[in-house]
Amino acid sequence: MHGPLIDTLTRQGVTRRTFLKYCATLASMMALPPGAGRAMAEAMAAARRPSVIWLPFQECTGCTESITRSHSPTLEGMIFDMISLDYQETLMAAAGHQAEEALHAAMKENAGKYLLIVDGSIPLDMDGAYSCIGGRSNLEILKEAAEGAAAIVAMGSCAAFGGIPKANPNPTGAVSVSDIIKDKPIVNIPGCPPIPVVMTGVLAHYLTFGSLPELDDKGRPKAFFGETIHDRCYRRPFYDQGKFAKTFDDEGARMGWCLFELGCKGPVTYNACATVKWNGGTSWPVESGHGCLGCSEPDFWDAGGFYKALSVPADPLEISAAAAVVGAGAGVAVSFANRAKKGAAKSAHETTTLADLEK
Amino acid sequence: MSLDAIPIHVVNPPSGEPGLTGNAPPLLRELSELVKRLLASGETSAIDLSALPLTPADLGWLQDKLGAGEISVTLQANGESTLNETACPGIWWVTHHNEQGAVTSQFIEVAFVPELVKAHPGDVQTGQEYLELLISDH
Amino acid sequence: MNELQFLTWVRGPGLDIAVGIFLLGVVWRLFEIYTLGRKKDLAAPRHAAGASGLHTVFRRSIPPPGGVKRSPVSYIGGYTFHIGLAIVVFGFAPHILLVKNLTGLSWPGLPSQFVDLAAVITMAAMVVVLVDRINKPVKRFLSTFGDWFAWAVTFLPVLTGWLAVQHLLLPYTTMLALHILSVEILLIVLPFTKLFHAFTLFGSRWYNGKVNGQRGVPV
Repeated sequence: MHGPLIDTLTRQGVTRRTFLKYCATLASMMALPPGAGRAMAEAMAAARRPSVIWLPFQECTGCTESITRSHSPTLEGMIFDMISLDYQETLMAAAGHQAEEALHAAMKENAGKYLLIVDGSIPLDMDGAYSCIGGRSNLEILKEAAEGAAAIVAMGSCAAFGGIPKANPNPTGAVSVSDIIKDKPIVNIPGCPPIPVVMTGVLAHYLTFGSLPELDDKGRPKAFFGETIHDRCYRRPFYDQGKFAKTFDDEGARMGWCLFELGCKGPVTYNACATVKWNGGTSWPVESGHGCLGCSEPDFWDAGGFYKALSVPADPLEISAAAAVVGAGAGVAVSFANRAKKGAAKSAHETTTLADLEK
Repeated sequence: MSLDAIPIHVVNPPSGEPGLTGNAPPLLRELSELVKRLLASGETSAIDLSALPLTPADLGWLQDKLGAGEISVTLQANGESTLNETACPGIWWVTHHNEQGAVTSQFIEVAFVPELVKAHPGDVQTGQEYLELLISDH
Repeated sequence: MNELQFLTWVRGPGLDIAVGIFLLGVVWRLFEIYTLGRKKDLAAPRHAAGASGLHTVFRRSIPPPGGVKRSPVSYIGGYTFHIGLAIVVFGFAPHILLVKNLTGLSWPGLPSQFVDLAAVITMAAMVVVLVDRINKPVKRFLSTFGDWFAWAVTFLPVLTGWLAVQHLLLPYTTMLALHILSVEILLIVLPFTKLFHAFTLFGSRWYNGKVNGQRGVPV
C-alpha cells in the first residue's frame, strides 16, 4: 500500500477543493445524501490506497480503454491511476516474468485485503486452454486470485454475464465470474463498455465505507443500474404519444422522436446512460440518434438483433409454411374421412315401412 | 442543434404557472428548519437539488424567491463553481460546472461559510511551507 | 433463464411454434368445413329483393329489431370490445411494425394515448360482458368451459399489453414477455375454439343468406 491519496493528487496538481467538488458531484450521482460527499472526500483523502489487482481474461480491452481514456485528464482516470494498481497488463511497464512476480508479490503482501478486478469472460472448454496467461488458464488464475481477495469487481458485460464470447454458439465455453466464484462478494458492473464514473463510483464507495454498494438481483449497484434507460429517456414523451422515427435520418429522427421502431432496447435495459451520459456528460447513444443496444443486460447479443424492435420477432419464422401444408393435408384427409362416412351412411340407409313401425 | 430545439410538448401540464410542479415551496420550509439547526448548534447541512423532482421552472422560482445576497464566490477547480449567498444570510446557492461548462451538480448549503470556501488546515500548512521558502529566498 | 432470455424466446421459437400451430389449425379447419359441401337444392330458385348471401353478410352486423332493447349488454358490450380490439391491435405502432415484419404491409398508426384509451374501454366492456354472462341465469346456464376460456384468452393479451405500456405490476421486460406469451396462447387455441368465428362468420352468413334467398326470404 502507498501513501494517502490526497498527497498523490496534490502532486498531480489536483487541489483539495477540486477533489471535494468532485466527491460532492459523485455522491449526488450515486443518490447519497449531500453530507456523504464530504465523508467520501475525507475517507478517500486519508485512504491508504488499497492494493488493486486487475486480471484481464477473454476480453477486448474496451473496459480498460473506457476507464483510462481521458481527453483532458478527468478525475476518473486519475483516481484510478492513484489506487495502488499493482497489476494491470495493458498499463503496467513490466512484462513477462517480472509481471508475474509483481502479481504474486502483491497477492501475498495484501492477502485477504486486495480488491480483485476482472474483465473478460472465462473460457471453460478444452480445460480452459482457449485463454492462457503465462501458460496457465484463466480459470486457474481466477481461482487462485479470488482466494486472497476481499471483494471481486466483474468489470464489463463479459466478466459480469459472459458477454460476446458467450454469444451463440459460444465456441469457447465462456462463463462469467459469478459462475465460477461462489464464496466472495462480487459486484457486477456490466456495460459494453461500462460508463467510467460507474466504476469509480463503486471504488469510491468501497474506499469510503469499506463495503460494496447495494446490489440488485443481478449483482449490479442499484445506484447506477436501478432504473431502465426508458424510464429516464428524454425522448419518452414521444414514446407516450406514439411518435416514432421510421428510419435513420428521416423527419421523425431529425425531430428527435422515439427510436423504438429502430430497435432501441431502452425499455428492457438497466443502466445510467440516460442520466450520467458518456464522455463526461457529452451525449449518449439515443441522444446521438441510435437506439440503445441493451449492452448491460445478460445475453444482449442474442436478444434478437439490434435493429429489430421489441415488438418484432427475434428470429424469422421457420415452420409456418410447413405447418400450413400439414394443416391442409390434415384437412384433406379429414374431408375424405367425412365423405366416406357420408357415403357409408347413405348406403346403409334403410327405408322404413309401415310393417317396421307396427313391430 | 441543441436539445432545446427538439420540440417536447407536455401533455398534462400541472395547474398554476406553466412548468411549476409545486415541489419547490416545501423546500422553503425545509430550509427554515435547517437554518434553525444552524443557529442552535452550528450544524451545517445541504440540499441536493439534482436528487429532487424539480423542473427548470421550479429551480427558477426557488432562485427568484431566495434572491441574491452580498457575496458571490467563484471557484476555479476543474471547471467553474459558483457559491452565492442568497438574500438570507447563511443560505448559499452552490452550482458546480465541469470544464465544458455543463452543470454537474447543484446544492443549497446552509452554513455560516460554505465548506468549499474554507481553507483546510492541511492546505494552510502547505501554504506556510511555501511562505517559508519565499522568506528564505529574500 | 432470466427475463431477457424469456423475452427473446417468446419473440423467437415461441412465436414460431404459435404461428405454425395457428396456420395449421386454420387451414385444416377451413378445408374440413368447406369440403363438406352441401346437397344441391333442386327447387326452382325464387328471387326477392335484398335476399342473397352478400346481403346477409352485412345485414347480420346490425342487431335485429328490438334486439338491443332485449339484450343491450350483449350488443353494446359486444360491439364495443370488438371495435376496441381492432383499434388496439391494428392502430398501435409497435403492432403495425410486427405486421410489417411478417407481411410487408404497413399503415399509419394512431396516437398512443388514443390506443391507451381504447384498451381501457375494451377491458371495461369485456368485464361488463362477463359479469352479464354470470348474472343472467339463461346465459350462465348456456355457458360452458369453452366460453369462459375464450373470454380469458382474449382478455389477457389486452390486459398484459396495457400493463406493459403503462409500466405497471411487473418490470417491463417480464410484462412484455407475458404479453407476447398470452398472444401466442390465443393464437394456438383460436382455430380449435369458438374464437374461430373470426374466420367462419362470413362463410356462415353467406350460406344462410344464399339458402334462404333461394326460397325468396331475406334473412
